[in-house]
Amino acid sequence: MHELSIALSIVEGVTEEAGQHGGVVVVKAVHLRLGRLSGVVGEALLFSYGLACEGTVLQGSELRIEEVEGNEMLIVAMELES
Amino acid sequence: MTVASTRLVEVRRNVMKKNDLLARALRERMQAAGVFVVSLVSSPGAGKTTFLERTLTELGRTHRVAALVGDLATDNDRDRLARSGAPVRQITTGTLCHLEAEMIENALEGWDLHALDFLFIENVGNLVCPASWDLGEEQRIVLLSVTEGEDKPLKYPTIFNTADVAVITKIDLAQACEFDRVSAEANMHAARPGLPIFDVSAKTGQGMSVWLEWLTAPRPGST
Repeated sequence: MHELSIALSIVEGVTEEAGQHGGVVVVKAVHLRLGRLSGVVGEALLFSYGLACEGTVLQGSELRIEEVEGNEMLIVAMELES
Repeated sequence: MTVASTRLVEVRRNVMKKNDLLARALRERMQAAGVFVVSLVSSPGAGKTTFLERTLTELGRTHRVAALVGDLATDNDRDRLARSGAPVRQITTGTLCHLEAEMIENALEGWDLHALDFLFIENVGNLVCPASWDLGEEQRIVLLSVTEGEDKPLKYPTIFNTADVAVITKIDLAQACEFDRVSAEANMHAARPGLPIFDVSAKTGQGMSVWLEWLTAPRPGST
C-alpha cells in the first residue's frame, strides 16, 4: 500500500507548483496521468489522496485520473482558484 | 464582491520528481566516490538476506563492501548480514512498504564512501511498492526463488520491468519444487526483454562465482 506515499508526493508537488502562482491560491482539482504499469492502483490512490490533502491548499480538491499505457505518473495540470 | 475564478494551469511534473532528483544526486555522489551500488528487491522470503550475506562474505575477501537493509520492524536482517564482517546499517521503515532515496541519504550519514567499493541496499520484501522509487543504485536486482512459482514476473511486471538483473534463488530446490526454468525465463523476458538472469543457491554456493564475476567485471567509466 504505497499509494499514500504517492498521494503525499502529489500534494507536495502541487503545493510547490501552486505556490509559484502568487496570492492566496486554492487548488480545486489535479489532473494526473497514471500508467497502467506504474504499480499504483487508482482507487487506492483516490482514497489516500483525500487524506493527504487535509490541512493543505489542496484540501477538498478533486483528483482526476487519466489512465494511460506505460508506467508514467505525471501531474499534467491543476485547477486553481484565487 | 469578488467572484472566485478557476483557472487551469499546466504543470507537467513527474510525481516522483523529488525522489528522482535526490536519487540522481546520490548516484553522482556514489560514482564520484567510486562506489558501485546494487539494490535488491523481492517478495518476502525469497532469500535476499541469505543471498546478500553470502555475497558480502565472499566479495568482502577482495573488496570493501557494506550494506543498508530496510525492514518494517526488526533489526534481525542487520544482525544476520553483520555476521559477514561487513559494515551494515538498518533502515527501519515502520509501516512503510519500501525504501526512498531520502532514507538512503540519511542512512549514509557519517560513512566514508571513499572507503567502499560496493554498497548493497536490501529493500523491504515487497514486489509492488519499491518499483517506483529510484534509490540512486547502479543496478537493481530482482530475486525470484524457485519456491514462488514461475508466473510471478507476469503478476508483478513493473518490478521486473524496472530491474537490471534477475537472480533465481534457492536453485538447489528447483527439482523438488518442479521449478520450470524455461517458463520462468520466458515470463521474466516478457516483463523485461533481455534481462540477464543468474541461477544461484546461497546455501550450496552454486552459481555464486558467476554472480561475483559479473559484479566485479570491469565496467566502462569505472576505475
